[in-house]
Amino acid sequence: MTPAGSLLAAHDLRKTYGSTPALDGASFSVHPGEVVAVMGPSGSGKSTLLHCLAGIITPDSGTITYDGRKLSAMSDAERSALRRSDFGFVFQFGQLVPELTCVENVALPLRLNGTRRKDAERTARTWMERLEVEDIASKRPGEVSGGQGQRVAVARALAGSPKVIFADEPTGALDSLNGERVMQLLTEAARSANVAVVLVTHEARVAAYSDRDVTVRDGRARDLEHAA
Amino acid sequence: MTLLDEKRTPAPAPSPARPSRAAPWLRDLALGIRFAAAGGREGWTRTLLTAVGVGLGVTLLFLAASVPHALDARTARENARSETQISENPDAQAKKSDTTVLRIAAETEYHDRTILGHLMRAEGTHPVLPPGIDALPAAGEMVVSPALKDLLNDPGNALLRERFPYKVTGTIADAGLRSPNELLYYAGSDTLTPAAGGHRVTGYGDPGPTPPLAPLLVVLVIMVCVVLLAPVAIFIATAVRFGGDRRDRRLAALRLVGTDIRSTRRIAAGEALFGSALGVLIGLVLFLVGRQFVSYIEVWDISAFPADLAPDLRLCLLIAVAVPLTAVLVTLSAMRSVVIEPLGVVRNSRSRKRRLWWRLLLPLAGLGVLAVNGQSGEYEVVNPYTITTGAVLVLVGLALLLPWLVEASVGRLRGGPVPWQLATRRLQLSSGTASRAVSGVTVAVAGAVAVQMLFAAMNADFNKATGQDTSRAQFYASSEQVSGNAAVETIKEFRATKGVTQVIGMIEAYASKPGKYSEDDIQPTTSFSIGDCATLREVARIDSCKDGDTFVVHPRDDKDMSGWMDKTARKGKEIEFESGTGRKLRWTLPADARTVVGRKDPVGEDRWGIMVTPGAIDATTLPGASTVSQIRIDDSVPDAAEYVRNTAARIDPGMRLVTMTSVERDRQYASVQTGLQVGATVTLLLIAASMLVSQLEQLRERKRLLSVLVAFGTRRTTLAWSVLWQTALPVVIGLAVAVAGGLALGAALCWMVGKQVTDWLMFLPLAGAGGALILLVTLLSLPPLWRMMRPDGLRSE
Repeated sequence: MTPAGSLLAAHDLRKTYGSTPALDGASFSVHPGEVVAVMGPSGSGKSTLLHCLAGIITPDSGTITYDGRKLSAMSDAERSALRRSDFGFVFQFGQLVPELTCVENVALPLRLNGTRRKDAERTARTWMERLEVEDIASKRPGEVSGGQGQRVAVARALAGSPKVIFADEPTGALDSLNGERVMQLLTEAARSANVAVVLVTHEARVAAYSDRDVTVRDGRARDLEHAA
Repeated sequence: MTLLDEKRTPAPAPSPARPSRAAPWLRDLALGIRFAAAGGREGWTRTLLTAVGVGLGVTLLFLAASVPHALDARTARENARSETQISENPDAQAKKSDTTVLRIAAETEYHDRTILGHLMRAEGTHPVLPPGIDALPAAGEMVVSPALKDLLNDPGNALLRERFPYKVTGTIADAGLRSPNELLYYAGSDTLTPAAGGHRVTGYGDPGPTPPLAPLLVVLVIMVCVVLLAPVAIFIATAVRFGGDRRDRRLAALRLVGTDIRSTRRIAAGEALFGSALGVLIGLVLFLVGRQFVSYIEVWDISAFPADLAPDLRLCLLIAVAVPLTAVLVTLSAMRSVVIEPLGVVRNSRSRKRRLWWRLLLPLAGLGVLAVNGQSGEYEVVNPYTITTGAVLVLVGLALLLPWLVEASVGRLRGGPVPWQLATRRLQLSSGTASRAVSGVTVAVAGAVAVQMLFAAMNADFNKATGQDTSRAQFYASSEQVSGNAAVETIKEFRATKGVTQVIGMIEAYASKPGKYSEDDIQPTTSFSIGDCATLREVARIDSCKDGDTFVVHPRDDKDMSGWMDKTARKGKEIEFESGTGRKLRWTLPADARTVVGRKDPVGEDRWGIMVTPGAIDATTLPGASTVSQIRIDDSVPDAAEYVRNTAARIDPGMRLVTMTSVERDRQYASVQTGLQVGATVTLLLIAASMLVSQLEQLRERKRLLSVLVAFGTRRTTLAWSVLWQTALPVVIGLAVAVAGGLALGAALCWMVGKQVTDWLMFLPLAGAGGALILLVTLLSLPPLWRMMRPDGLRSE
């Protein structure tokens, strides 16, 4: 069932919220270094699929395999540890911790994983430089623009050297210029580091940065690779 | 000429009515009220949060406003059952009549609870009745208070039922009780006589003059009120700000459609006005509902009837007006520090550094007022207004100092592990909310430290060491005017009681030198005690002793008294005993009686006189005897004290049985101290509730962020520690301010009443209570934190 060489694969996922089905037999896979866009209209189940793939929520049925291990067989603590070590996240509004400075935000995943503060912040500054936001390192999220904040969020997702980045509408709150710049930096950085990206978006312009599209409609993912 | 031809001067255009200055206020306030009342789920949540917070505070204010009436009602009931005094001499007896009643107190204790009781015997056909009962109980019957009835009906209280061999024939009504939980009974007797200790009662409801509260106690009462009510006021001010962040976001949307900054402030004030007005209503309802159950609540031996809790109408009106007004003022003041911009962005206005100088003015002014008031002597009239003003200024000043201190302290914190960093950075970004939540603790603890210092300094004035040695005996029992035979039996019965290890039991009488004396002469008299050797050794320095021995016991270091005693205690000569009824007995003091020195008995009294062992005199023949037993019990025997009390009640219900104690506390002083304990308990609970609500509100505001952190794989313990630090840091700083301020205020108050500070470490238990508060609030925050850490928070659809 798992496509050969895939890093993360899901098969026949089902998830309901109350009586509302969010996923209804969705399947998906992503290879190392591959950027896959998950597209679909609002309420189609894109974000739920992403949250299931990231081990944030557990599906009612179906299997998710990451690097040969079944996510559904893992405990909450094991999935948390996996998210700390192997996954990175970018959300629509950045969701930076408002009280921490930008560099502290970027260093946060490393620090949560046990890296010493100075080392974590050194790595964080390197990533911030790559994402062209090193000048706002000591500012707080409330003091920077939306585009800068989102690039800080991308730097945070990459700082922990993840194998997969989950990006949920990463440009949804940005103007087109800033959105494109963020996508460019995200995909370039991910590809150069051989990091897989699961990109949830409803914009074709954003999806254009991906290697492959998966469309979710009514809780079903139409993954051409998986179908093949 | 037609109408068209008519030249008419056009009417001047109506000049726009000059808007009154109140109009925009009223319009915006009304809009704010509409948002609060019909702002959807979010608006209602915020309004309810404020209303419940204000409601809790208002409930306490209504409770405080009821205290004067509750005390008056309690005193009125006490006065109504006070016996009419016929003379200033409490021993004076009225004349017997158709309405008089003989009464003897038959108070007892049961498991540390005092049971007041009276044996009653009507002397005529129309006896006067104490309030709360319709008729005097007949012999063998008793009427009891509802609380005592419950206690007697409890299956586990067989020992208590054994103590009252009476049939319960009625219940004492509320009018006859000091409080709902009072344990009281009236039992009928057909043997009580004045000779047996019965006091003649001619009526009820005349308590005689009540001593005014000592000036020093007035200072204490004022301080206790200030300490307890200041945190309530601060809590209400804090509750008004609940949910401020969400409200600001809504106001930003209004700015987008053209509302100016002043209007947004007024709209916010309108929201606060509605929330606080609803809070006043909730407070009133909570108070009215809660007081129905007040009779079931007993804190530190204090309880009240529901009808007692009737707040003064003027105070009610003041609360109803002042609380919403405070809410408006607090909101307007809070809104000055935020700039609400139209694009849905709410940014704190450029953070101004808090200034210290004006925050120092208030506490210094308070200390100044206290200094100007000067010292009061023990019996001088105290000016409560200056003391109250000074104390309030100091305490409120401390609350003002706290935000500056928290900001200055947390601003210096750097580095540390992730939880510490999250907490300190959060406080650095916005320490105001945390400071406000903690200001209640600061004021309460500062005030409590000051009051405790004052208590400690005044301790010696109100708490007297009794000199009783509770390691030698725990009970003192005495019966007067008993026959010698009964006295012997009393001691035997106490010795045979379960759990009793020793009875220092003596039969006592007064011995005098026989002869005829003129009215100007004083007949030499001394005390005469009969006890076994073991007993006599407890009251005199005796080396050898055997049954039949007699001793002349001189007081220690008192030659005059020894000389006077020896006028009666002449070896080989007769002494005389006489009972109240005139029966006399003569007895010869043996010539070989040894002279020894007395010692203190367990009650702490120096003993002397003629002391004899039972073999020297037939105790059963002694007229006018009384019996005194000092009883030691084995604490490891369960209910040993209750067995002793049962024995006493069985021998003589009117027997005086006193539980010995090493310290005797002044009643008024004890009442004030109890009041502080009750109030401090309620206040601490309120503060805990305030901090918890504030904490939960902060967590709710950050629900999405918490979910994001969970998505990263953040451990729960990391966030739990972060919450702990976030609570602990302001509280620790607040406690430091409170301790410093409290010690300064306490020292000032001690100086004012002319007392030395006796204990500078009085704050330690309070600091400990503050620490416990941190843990409690953190622990109670954890379950909601766990819930909010669910990834569901990431869902936006």
